[in-house]
Amino acid sequence: MRFLLFNHIQNAVESLRSNRLRSYLTMLGVTIGIASITTILALSTGASKVVSDQVDALGGNIAVVRPGSSSNEPLTNITLSSPQRDFASSTLTSYDVMLIKQIKHVDKVAPIFVMSGSIRGDSTAPVGSNIVATTPDLALISNLKVREGQFLDDTVSPNTAVIGTQLSVDVFGTEQSIGKSVNIRGKPFTVIGILGRLNNPINYNSIDFDNSVIIGFNSGVLLNGGASQIQQINVRSDSVTNLAGVIIDINKKLSESHKGENDFSVLSGDQISQPTSQLFYTIAGITAAVAGISLLVGGIGIMNIMLVSVAERTREIGIRKALGASNSDVAAQFIIESLAIGIGGGISGYIIGYVAAFGISTFLTFDPVLNWQIAAIAIAISFVMGTLFGLYPAIRAARKDPIASLREYS
Amino acid sequence: MAKAKLPPVIQLVGLKKRFGIGDAEHFALDGIDLVIQKGEFIAIMGPSGCGKTTLLNILGLLDRSTDGDYFLDGQSVATIGARRQARIRSQQIGFIFQSFNLISRLNVIENVALPLTYKGTQRTKRLIVASDMLHNFHLGEREYYMPHQLSGGQTQRVAIARALVNEPSIILADEPTGNLDSNSSHIIMEELSELHKRGNTIIMVTHNPRLTSYASRVITMIDGTVKKDTKVRVRTPRAPRKRPLGKSSRKVKT
Repeated sequence: MRFLLFNHIQNAVESLRSNRLRSYLTMLGVTIGIASITTILALSTGASKVVSDQVDALGGNIAVVRPGSSSNEPLTNITLSSPQRDFASSTLTSYDVMLIKQIKHVDKVAPIFVMSGSIRGDSTAPVGSNIVATTPDLALISNLKVREGQFLDDTVSPNTAVIGTQLSVDVFGTEQSIGKSVNIRGKPFTVIGILGRLNNPINYNSIDFDNSVIIGFNSGVLLNGGASQIQQINVRSDSVTNLAGVIIDINKKLSESHKGENDFSVLSGDQISQPTSQLFYTIAGITAAVAGISLLVGGIGIMNIMLVSVAERTREIGIRKALGASNSDVAAQFIIESLAIGIGGGISGYIIGYVAAFGISTFLTFDPVLNWQIAAIAIAISFVMGTLFGLYPAIRAARKDPIASLREYS
Repeated sequence: MAKAKLPPVIQLVGLKKRFGIGDAEHFALDGIDLVIQKGEFIAIMGPSGCGKTTLLNILGLLDRSTDGDYFLDGQSVATIGARRQARIRSQQIGFIFQSFNLISRLNVIENVALPLTYKGTQRTKRLIVASDMLHNFHLGEREYYMPHQLSGGQTQRVAIARALVNEPSIILADEPTGNLDSNSSHIIMEELSELHKRGNTIIMVTHNPRLTSYASRVITMIDGTVKKDTKVRVRTPRAPRKRPLGKSSRKVKT
């Protein structure tokens, strides 16, 4: 059997070369589509990797209790993890926190209670600043470092606060705000510590600590009129091996106290980052759909040019057939041409996409991720495009009648 | 002798080709019976529209007959699939066209090497074979010219070189000198009769009665039928072979 693949490739390269500008312009259509998809995927993977890296960095002994049942529906998870959430009422209570504290092997417990409200120092804090009420354990569980002063502990006055660096700059105009007074919901708190800059607004606590003021849990409850709204309870077990047992115990205890209602979920490991990742994947999915449209346009461009090329080379097809090319030889030549356009566009799009991703990431707090999956997706898409949109023109070329084609003068 | 028992290269039995349907029906070929033996040089004559080119297309497996049988090397072509037919075109049949039909964006040597592509020959080998063939036609120095840079006679010689590069047993020529002046025509006809002497079967369609003197058999067609079929003795070439547009005239003396 004749093996003509290399010959077809040479044929295709020759004819692409003879129409250089046209080939490159057609390729550009694919390049743009693939570049945008690569950028989106690289950045969204990077964003969700930030969260899972944090979880990994904390060690494997962290569990998180969130209100609401854990659902596999991504949309539910997204609404749950949305940073500016408004729960009608959280199902987690101070009593639950106490129950968890009593469980064996539980080392640290930190409820997180995010409030909205005004923060005023010398000036008012911008929108998006958080008031976080929590226990001193949070600093240990979430690895918060204090740059100056101290974190909350059991001995300090309830009217003290720890402030994020950026918020300090926003309300006091300086990073040195220790001893100054900040009004939270109209009540004065004294700043006793300033957090080191973290620069990661995306994390599993869904709180940007740089823009937060942290107060004691009980002070928070008092500010809120005696009602707590716990959005998350962070739990650390005394060792990695005991975490599984701790999770089972938390489930049991809370089930008892909630009278069997499945209105909370205990997450660990990857599950913690999942809602955040899901959110980013959904955003990425929507943007990718938009990029998909540009891919479709690029594909139509390929088909268009291939049809023109077939029409223009009718006579050549006739000659080739007379010289012994079978229908499939002719089809193969044109398919390989469109494949070459597709894959060429795919490779350049992949490279340009990463250049763009790294360019954009200089304005973001996370880096794009380089992995083989994205490369495989880019190549697979361009391969499919080349084949799909080249198929019809190739079939048309193959079906041309050699005699009629030879009669056509060009 | 074993050779005598070989089937004729081409045998046509009641071959018909219809164009159009209903009222517009028209038979371009209306019952052709023909036997062509190996090594014949056949000139097909006849007025325009008598079906010469249609016959040639059918012989070259580019077209199919409506009715009748066509045996190629003893096998009915109706039983051969399209893919095999393409293979036969590639390996056994060489086409020479009136309008040369070189691919304009390929240079001379690539054009000549083209049929080898479909035989599966590797690129380097293709170019070597094509180069040899071009040297045979005294076009060795034109290998990297583009077709539009050649004269008509040179272009047709390139086309002949292309038709021969696969060493086909049958050569089909459709008015090979139709677009050439008499001088170039003469050179082309000399080339063809040279091929004939080497044992190739040549079937040539022509308008020009003068060219029939090169043929061993002249078939005259009218309205899709064979009107006259005469064998002629091959004449010995009288005119001295034209000096090819060759090396010595172009060689730069240093």
